[in-house]
Amino acid sequence: MSTEKVDEIREALKAVIDPELGQNVVDLGLIYEIEVIDNCVVRISMTTTTRGCPATGYLKQAVQDVAWAVPGVEFADVELTYDPPWSPSFIAPEIAGLLGAR
Amino acid sequence: MPGASLSRWTLTYFACALACLVAAEVLMVMGFGYPGAAIEAPETLILVHLVAIGWLSLLLCGALFQFVPVLVARPLLGEELPPVALAFILLGLAVLLSGFAGMAGIIVTPLEVMPLGGSLLIIGFGLVIVSLGRTLWAARPLAMPARFVVVGLAALAATALFGESFALILSGLVGGEAALSLLLNGVPLHALLGLGGWMSFTAMGVSYRLLAMFMLAPETERFPTSVVLATGTLTLVLIAAATPFALAAESGLAGMLLAAAVTGLCALGVYGSDMLALYRQRKRRNIELNAVAAIGAFAALLAAGLLLVFLLFSGSLPDHAGALTYLFAFGWLGGLGLAKLYKIVAFLTWLECFAPVLGKRQTPRVQDLVDERHAAPWFGAYYLAVGMGTLTLLVELPLAFRLFAFIQLVASLAITRHLYRSRELLNVPADLRRGFARPHPFWPQPIARKLP
Repeated sequence: MSTEKVDEIREALKAVIDPELGQNVVDLGLIYEIEVIDNCVVRISMTTTTRGCPATGYLKQAVQDVAWAVPGVEFADVELTYDPPWSPSFIAPEIAGLLGAR
Repeated sequence: MPGASLSRWTLTYFACALACLVAAEVLMVMGFGYPGAAIEAPETLILVHLVAIGWLSLLLCGALFQFVPVLVARPLLGEELPPVALAFILLGLAVLLSGFAGMAGIIVTPLEVMPLGGSLLIIGFGLVIVSLGRTLWAARPLAMPARFVVVGLAALAATALFGESFALILSGLVGGEAALSLLLNGVPLHALLGLGGWMSFTAMGVSYRLLAMFMLAPETERFPTSVVLATGTLTLVLIAAATPFALAAESGLAGMLLAAAVTGLCALGVYGSDMLALYRQRKRRNIELNAVAAIGAFAALLAAGLLLVFLLFSGSLPDHAGALTYLFAFGWLGGLGLAKLYKIVAFLTWLECFAPVLGKRQTPRVQDLVDERHAAPWFGAYYLAVGMGTLTLLVELPLAFRLFAFIQLVASLAITRHLYRSRELLNVPADLRRGFARPHPFWPQPIARKLP
């Protein structure tokens, strides 16, 4: 597995924001796992802040599109999971203050 | 599928609801109906049904079509039903109101018009119940907030059946001693099942989820919530079970209603402490205007509960039922409705306009669609007007009531203007909205355009 590729994809996913919180899905801790197989197949495990949120489908699609657009990626699959359920404690410390999260 | 859970007709419901709110407030400013007329006068019936069906029920139906799928994390079943239901409800309301206008001598209508209006409303609300009921049924076992909605929908069915019974009796199509007795004694049951069961109980259930969602509060199912569900359901069962007493004009009716008042106040008390806990446990320190404005609605609910207790003990409930209903309908239900509309309209507009390009280009946040600084004072003005309006009703100053009704009207119009600005993306910085088409203010987009 290429950690460089994982980092590259993680960086690219920062283009996707959660509309409600206005921060990117990576820093919000919504991306649980990024797995790169053979340096070209990507599997992403992600969540949303709220189960059943009407924006869920759009967020999943956006994450898939962005990952797929990373040079060298030939296939990207995104799995939605609520295990564990997202918690504000997953937010990166550097943006927690911006959100007023505590 | 992206967008599968975006309710297409919700904004059309909201627009119709707001039009009814403004119409009702204009009537109040003009001095039409209570307190200028008696509480049982046909003019008051016009006002009450314009608010209860036109404003509050349409608002709630529109919100439920969007949020029941969120509550159960499944798409709405029977997606073709919302526009048909809306047409039946609007037509039924218009026919019912024209029947009341006939009773008041404002226009000439045959008496049979009222039960016809009631039947159309039963079909409309029946379709709402079928669509939401199927969605809920398919999602069993249900989480706590969704169970509130189930009870609320049952209360809606009971309210509609009560209403149709009254229409049949008033039109003379159904007669007899029991019918007359129901007409004389059953109105409080109809009102309590509608305002307390259908509207309040459903709003309470949805508020648990919505407030937790928007304030990042823990969504764990707490024991007190099941106490609210149990005592609230018991209250509604007691009210429904009082029907035979109303039919037979027996003295047990007052006892049943008193028991319902006790369990109902218990439910409200625990609900209040639940909401307080939710606000305290929120992870988002800076809360948005929708959550701040909702506090006014909770305060109105608390005030209405205290007023009920005072009126019960002082024996003056029959004299001031109008003031209590006004505070409950406009302060609690209407206030919560306007507060949540402020968020929902922006959120749905964001989904419609910006969600399809998420990740492909820079998009604004949902909060960029609103202008809280300029909207907040209007929520304050609204609650102040409703509070003062209640006071003027209690001390019987009808002219002063009309003045505060005018302030309430102006505040409602200003909030509606803010909702319109959200829809038109007028608060979004120009560079962020460039290249995005504005959605129609209240009409759904054709399906082909909606899906990316």
